[in-house]
Amino acid sequence: MHSRQMLKAAAVVLVAFAVGLVFYFSFSAAFGDGLEKTMENAGVEEREPVYKAPLSYGDSYSMALVMGIAGFAAVLGCAFLFGKLLAKKSA
Amino acid sequence: MHIPDGLMDPLVAGAGWIIALVILALATRVVNRRIEERHIPLMAMLAAGIFVAQMLNFPIGGGTTGHLVGAALAAILLGPYAGAIVIMVILVIQCLLFGDGGVTALGLNFLNMGVIGCFTGYYVHRAFPGKYRRAGIFAAAWLAVFLGSLACALELAASNTLSGGAFGIAAPVAIPSMTIYHAVIGVGEGIVTAGILAYLAQVSPEMLKMPKITAGRPSAHEGEVGADA
Repeated sequence: MHSRQMLKAAAVVLVAFAVGLVFYFSFSAAFGDGLEKTMENAGVEEREPVYKAPLSYGDSYSMALVMGIAGFAAVLGCAFLFGKLLAKKSA
Repeated sequence: MHIPDGLMDPLVAGAGWIIALVILALATRVVNRRIEERHIPLMAMLAAGIFVAQMLNFPIGGGTTGHLVGAALAAILLGPYAGAIVIMVILVIQCLLFGDGGVTALGLNFLNMGVIGCFTGYYVHRAFPGKYRRAGIFAAAWLAVFLGSLACALELAASNTLSGGAFGIAAPVAIPSMTIYHAVIGVGEGIVTAGILAYLAQVSPEMLKMPKITAGRPSAHEGEVGADA
C-alpha cells in the first residue's frame, strides 16, 4: 500500500464514516448495545470508571464526526508506529 | 461489547489482564518474526478503519444495537496474531482517549474481541474450501462475535458467583441475553465483513493476497482470502 493508496483508502473510510454517522444518529444513537442491554435486563447500573478519559464520542453529529476523525488519526498513527517498531526489531 | 470498569469481579478482571498480557507477548513475538514492511500500512489503515466502524452502531430490533468488532476482518487479512495486535491498539485508544471500555477490563475486552475474535475468525475462515470461502467469511465473522459474547457472558457469570452477587450478572440472565443479542449482531458482522472483503477484492486484490502472519511456516494457501472466489 503506497502513500497515495493510503490517502485514498483514508478518504474512502472517512467519507463512509461521515455517511454512516447520519444513519447512526437517525436509528441507533438512543439505544444501548448488546452488553448494555444485558446490564439493563439484569438491573445492573454502570459504575464510576477507575480512569476518566479526556474525550468522549460526542452526542451530536458534528462532535462525533470530529471525534471519529481524531480517533482515526490516533489509531492510524499508533498502529503504524507499533508496526514500524516490530518490523525494525525483526530486521 | 466493551466491558466498563466496575462490572467484573477484580479476580476475573485480573485474570483477564494476565492472560491477555501473555497472549499479547506471544503475538508480538510472532509478528516481530514474520512482519514485512508491506504489512505495516495495511495494519494501520485496518486499525483506523475498524475504530471508526465500531462507532457506527446499527439497530438489531427491540431497542438494541450492535457494532462491527472487526476481529475476523483483521485476522483474515493479516493473520490472527497481527489481527489481535490491531484490535489491542484500537481498544487501548478507545479506553484511554474516549473512555469506551474500562481500564480494569481491558484484558478481558482484548480476550473477548481480540483473541477469541481473531483466532476464531481466521481458523474458521481457513476451514472452508475455496469455493465456499465467501460462506466461510460470513461464518467466521458470525462465530467470532458469538463466541466472544459467550466468553463475556461466562466472565459475567463467574464474577457474579465469585463476588456473591456484588459484581457481574447471574448466569441465567447473562448467558441467554448476551448470546441472543450477539447472535443477531453477528449477522451484521458477517454481512459487513464479507462485503468489505468483496469490495477489496475488486479495488485492491493484492491486499487479499498478502502473506498472513502466522506462527507456523507459510503454507501453499498463504495469502489467499477467497472473497473473490
